[in-house]
Amino acid sequence: MKILLALIKKEIKQILRDPSSIIIAFVLPFISIMIYMYGINLDSVKITMGVKNDDNSPEVATLVKSFGHSKYINSINFDNMEDIKTAVLRSKIKGAVVIPNDFSTKLSRGEKSDLLVITDGSETNTANYVQSYAITIANQWLATSKYAGKIKRPLITAESRTWYNPDLNSHYFIVPGSIAITMTLIGILLTSLVVAREWERGTMEAILSTSVKPMHIVLGKYIPYFVLGMMSMAFNVFLCVGVFKIPFRGNYFLLFFVSGLFLFTSLGIGLTVSSKLKNQFLSSMVAMSLGFMPALMLSGLMYPINSMPEFFQHLTRIIPPRYYVSFIESEFMAGTIPEIVFANAIFLTILGCLLFIAVYMNTSTRLDGKR
Amino acid sequence: MQTVTIKNLTKKFGSAVAIDNLSLNIEKGKITGLIGADGAGKTTLLRTIIGLLLPNEGEISVLGFNPETQKDELNLHIGYMPQKFGLYEDLTVIENLDLYADLKQVPHDFEKMLEFTTLSPFKDRLAGALSGGMKQKLGLACTLLGNPEFLLLDEPSVGVDPISRRDLMKMVREMINPDTTVLWSTAYLDEAHSFDTAVVIDKGKVIYEGKPHDLAPTPQEFENKVIDLMGGYKKEESLIAKNYEYNHSYCGENDYYTVEADNLEKRYGNFYAVKNNTFKIKKGEIFGLLGPNGAGKSTSFKMMCGLAKPTSGTARIMGTDIIKHPAKARSHLGYMAQKFSLYGSLTVRQNLNFFALVYGISLLKRKKKVDEIIEVFGLKEYEKIPAEELPLGLKQRLSMAAALIHNPPVLFLDEPTSGVDILTRRDFWNHITSLAQKGVTILVTTHFMDEAEFCDRISLFYKGQTVAIGTPQELKQKANANDMETTFINLIKESEVNQ
Repeated sequence: MKILLALIKKEIKQILRDPSSIIIAFVLPFISIMIYMYGINLDSVKITMGVKNDDNSPEVATLVKSFGHSKYINSINFDNMEDIKTAVLRSKIKGAVVIPNDFSTKLSRGEKSDLLVITDGSETNTANYVQSYAITIANQWLATSKYAGKIKRPLITAESRTWYNPDLNSHYFIVPGSIAITMTLIGILLTSLVVAREWERGTMEAILSTSVKPMHIVLGKYIPYFVLGMMSMAFNVFLCVGVFKIPFRGNYFLLFFVSGLFLFTSLGIGLTVSSKLKNQFLSSMVAMSLGFMPALMLSGLMYPINSMPEFFQHLTRIIPPRYYVSFIESEFMAGTIPEIVFANAIFLTILGCLLFIAVYMNTSTRLDGKR
Repeated sequence: MQTVTIKNLTKKFGSAVAIDNLSLNIEKGKITGLIGADGAGKTTLLRTIIGLLLPNEGEISVLGFNPETQKDELNLHIGYMPQKFGLYEDLTVIENLDLYADLKQVPHDFEKMLEFTTLSPFKDRLAGALSGGMKQKLGLACTLLGNPEFLLLDEPSVGVDPISRRDLMKMVREMINPDTTVLWSTAYLDEAHSFDTAVVIDKGKVIYEGKPHDLAPTPQEFENKVIDLMGGYKKEESLIAKNYEYNHSYCGENDYYTVEADNLEKRYGNFYAVKNNTFKIKKGEIFGLLGPNGAGKSTSFKMMCGLAKPTSGTARIMGTDIIKHPAKARSHLGYMAQKFSLYGSLTVRQNLNFFALVYGISLLKRKKKVDEIIEVFGLKEYEKIPAEELPLGLKQRLSMAAALIHNPPVLFLDEPTSGVDILTRRDFWNHITSLAQKGVTILVTTHFMDEAEFCDRISLFYKGQTVAIGTPQELKQKANANDMETTFINLIKESEVNQ
């Protein structure tokens, strides 16, 4: 016990004297939340699109005006297709609406009338917005125009209501999700260096000839970095909820409990790599690509797991952030849902324990990697 | 009573045999010196004895324990100081001691130890900020905690000045009790000569085991005998010097000063690392810079070759001012840094190819030049091995090869022989003196006092200033001493008194 305490004390002193670990634990989360808060936005934004009207009827002129008045788009009027082509090519506009010359004539006859919507397929997301904005604006105009009487009333109307995030504000799930990314980074980046450092500096050789047991070495690394990670977690939550006013509907005790389990898995990845490779540079590189990239790509934070190819869907099962992202998003937005908390906590515990065993097995008491 | 009994021990790394069917007994209560060339298996033997490495074959018994199966029990009784001393550089002196006391589960009773090591005033200094000699003392102090029955020291005196070495030896002798067994691996044969037993190993085998005094009565003769045991050193014509072509376009007259330091000074705040350093070195002269660790030798060196900017003063290499024309001045220079500064992951040949390239040797001549240098430095059998895997002595040899690849007229060698075995050192100095005869000017620092004798002139450096300058003979007379080591210690003490 005394040995373990001594190792922990030593590690804490090293952490406090090394500004880089403090930067990783507190400055990095701050920067990352700032980026997710202000840099990344998956919400609809104001889009500039072109409008070309070939129909001279005064009624249609009001449609052109509607485009101009919409709060979702900026519209620019064009006279010929060539100009539209150039404007799209130069990214001045993201798409265009062309109103054909028989538009009002057909409508007044009660016939179906066409509206050409041009979108830029190289940015599919924006293309979807252009399309749906154009259709929405046209339909709204139609309902208030003199042709309104000609439309058949639809038998079904969809009233949509978005639960948990009524404003559809993507920050509400991305920022909590970013906590998962920072927690992965902290767990993996900090620890991937620390065992390798002892090998490189020759201190491992010296302590292996004292009364130190493998379990002391393992816990002596896990505990200090767990504490540091949890402090960073608290700082993260403070930034999210206190500073950026992201609504939190769940239970703080559960949030920190499951976050602790997740941190346990992250530390496990970093320490396994570090004990195995015994080289600081190599292990930080491996840990980053093994831990950070999957956390970003495969956790379901950025890309929904359901839409991944089947192989990757199965692969996500062994990636701890997957469980954590699912937990933290629901805990923030929907409040505590026992099934979700329980299922994710169980998987995180299993993965964390497996990784702990891996760290322990890789902690050798001899220089040739044997026990 | 035996502390260690080894029977038919064999240890291999892959197919390379590090320890070859070795049998050895180490007597209790004695100090045993472990001597051998680089790569002879000294470190592997120490590590295998305490179970840090597992043997492939053979039996070891240490203090009645089997290190293969009873490492934990054995650890309680030993103190082991690895080559890098195992200090945490970001912890202070006292924190290192606290940590090791806890890890060894012994009381925190450091007063005597701190006083003895004169580390008391530096208790709260970070271990990384200590001078080389101090680090060694602290490493030894940590190893001695809990009065281990068996002390294993892996080259504790590498790169340490004569004063610190004496202190280190005194410290071990006074801190242990009569029952303590010490196994001390060393490259200093004068050190080994003062031990109770000497074990010489070569290629993983014991080639001599016995009392040093039985082999030879004086350290000097002991050194020669050990060299004979290792296969003998035949002084041959230095191929390096033979292949060296002095480019006479560099300078005209013979008494031309090739290296000049003109009032060099380096100040950090109020602290002078180097002060008023002035000297002139003639063409073909070997000029030795001697002094305790932290005296400012390396700083002077770095200023002389333009790696550090002096706060005032300047230096000239072949008449070219190093501050005004650094690139041109440096092109006349071959520099071998104290720390190994080649690319560890590149092989021997790749490193040499690289240095040939950066020194501007044309591609057409390169292969021939590199082949030649590999040949003369005896690196043929290692040419495909990554530099980081070479033993220390060979690393030094490779560094020197890289420094000489462009035939420079001036050579700066910063502790080129630290941690190098006696044979390699002799060989090294053969090359150095032969190169000097060819007209190469050599500026060298060393902690081996026998090497200082090879220098034409010596500048003794202490606390950033020159305290004495002259030929070895002149310095000895000045200090009233017969050998260089006493000269060194007397002159340093004298300057201490004067200050």
